[in-house]
This record gives sequence, structure tokens and C-alpha cells, in this order.
Amino acid sequence: MDTNRPMIPRSDERYDSLYSNQASLNEAKEASAELDNMFRAYRSACPDPEGSANFMPGIWAQIEAREVSTNWFGRVAKALVTAAVAASVILGMMASSSNQSNSFFDATFVEALRADHASTLEPLHIDRISYMEQQ
Amino acid sequence: MLVEFDLIQKAQQGDAGAFNQIVSAYRRRILGTISRLIGRPEDVEDVAQEVFIRLYFSLGQLRTAEVFEPWLYRLTVNASYDYLRKSRRRVESRMADLSEQQVMMADAVAGSRAQTEESEKRRVRDTVQELLGTVSKEDRILLTLKEVEGLSLKELEKIYQVNENALKVRLFRARQRVLKKMKEVTGPSSFIAKDEEAS
Repeated sequence: MDTNRPMIPRSDERYDSLYSNQASLNEAKEASAELDNMFRAYRSACPDPEGSANFMPGIWAQIEAREVSTNWFGRVAKALVTAAVAASVILGMMASSSNQSNSFFDATFVEALRADHASTLEPLHIDRISYMEQQ
Repeated sequence: MLVEFDLIQKAQQGDAGAFNQIVSAYRRRILGTISRLIGRPEDVEDVAQEVFIRLYFSLGQLRTAEVFEPWLYRLTVNASYDYLRKSRRRVESRMADLSEQQVMMADAVAGSRAQTEESEKRRVRDTVQELLGTVSKEDRILLTLKEVEGLSLKELEKIYQVNENALKVRLFRARQRVLKKMKEVTGPSSFIAKDEEAS
């Protein structure tokens, strides 16, 4: 470490530092002003153009073209929605009619149970008894 | 505002004449703004037409008069941004567009005063385009609206619908980048010297 170097800068060093800071500040200000001038020059170098005679007709032609394509997509979308609604109505009707024809689901729980165990609960048939007696 | 709100309301109801009047009122301003935003004079009209077409189809959403101009600027900014995003051509390719013969002819007749002025304007345009090329497309548009078009921060706040401080930070950074590039491109104080010479 340089022990001879003073901790506090000498007055001329401080002046140098201040001067260089001031100089860089001035330089930055000049550059900023120069950029502002350049933008102003750019503004006057690019005046507002008038536009050609075809400007307005061109706009309407493109608007009409887009409206036609929008209408076409709209018609297709409407047709698809109508088809989807019709298909769901038909499927719903088919589902409800198939439910009505199945009488199994109309019976109560006791009726369904009785129908299921009818063969086991019914009395023994005479033919069977006679067949057993013969054996 | 260049048009009355009644006219906008008529256009909203489908009055083609009212829409034509709106376009006529704003045409020059929008064309000028776009020409300075994109820097390609041959494409300015196409982009401006796109702005007015977008205006036509979204006019029904407009409710109050005071938002009309910021809204039109936003449409302009969006259309210019879309153009810049799609366009792959660079400023450097401009000279390549000219044939050798055209360049020689341009040099040969460059003596007259009018052409000297025009070449000076072209130099300014090319330099600024090159400088603006150092920042992103979004920052380029923002910087042009603020520094060239002269819009205030309040107006930009309405157009971009973001906080004023965020805009300030973004503008400062973009400007610093442009300043850095300017030192590389033009050297110290070239434009100030030009102005002094001219005066």
C-alpha cells in the first residue's frame, strides 16, 4: 500500500475530478441536444404525404372483401350450429323412445325381484315328483 | 379533435359518407405518422389503409368522444408494429434496390440545389432510421411518437394504457441506446455543425 499517498485528495485533484465530471455532463447534454436536432430534422425530412387518388376506393374495396368473407364464415357457422342442434334433438328423441320401450325399468323393486326368482320359488311340478317316485 | 362526435356516431350507424369524412380528416396525419414510424414511403399507404379498415370494423365499440384519437393512434401503432414485424427488409438494403445505372445518374445530377436538399433529407432519414434500428420495434415506435410526433406522456399513457413512470423508464433506456449508437455513427456534434453551417 502506498503510505505516501494522502487519504484526502489534494485540492487540484478535486478540481480535476470536478472538471472531468462537468465535462462529461456537458458532453452528454450536447449529445442529447444533437439527438433532439436530429429528430426535428427527421420530422421535416418526412412531411405528411397526401396519399394517392386510389386511397379511399382502396379502403372500401378491402372493407367489402372482408365483409364478404366474414358473411361466408358466418353462414357456415350458422349452418353448423343448426345441424348440431338438430342432431342433438334427434339423439334426445331416440334415447327417450328407447327408455319407454324397456318395461324392466318401469317395474318396482319387489316386482323385479319376484320375476327374477320365480323359477326357484314356484312349487315342484307333479311330473317331476312322479319321476322321482319312479326312481 | 378533427371531427365532431356526431359524425363518429353516424359512421357507427353505418353511414358511409360520415366514415369517408372521418378518413379525409385524419388521412394526412395518419399517413405522416406512419411514414415516420416505418420509414418506407412506398408502403405507407398500405399500412394507412389497414388502419382505417380496422377503424371501420371496430368503430362500434367506441363509446366516448375523448378516447377516439388515442384509439386511432393505437390502431396506427399496432398496424405499424405488424408491418415492421412482418417486414424483413432492412435499411441497408435501400442502396441495393437501386441499379448501378440509377446510382450513377443520381450522382451525375446531384449538383442542383433542390437535389442537394433532397439528398440531405435522405441522409437524415437514413441516419435516423439506422439509429432507430438499434432499439426494439416497440421502443422504436414509442420513441418516434414521443420525440418526432411530439406526443406528451399523458397522450402516450392513454394510447398504451400503461403507467407514466413505466413509459419514462422505457423511453430513457431507448434514448440512451440511440445516443450510444449516434456517437458511433455520426461522430461528435456532426449535426450541430451542419446546422451552424446552414445558418
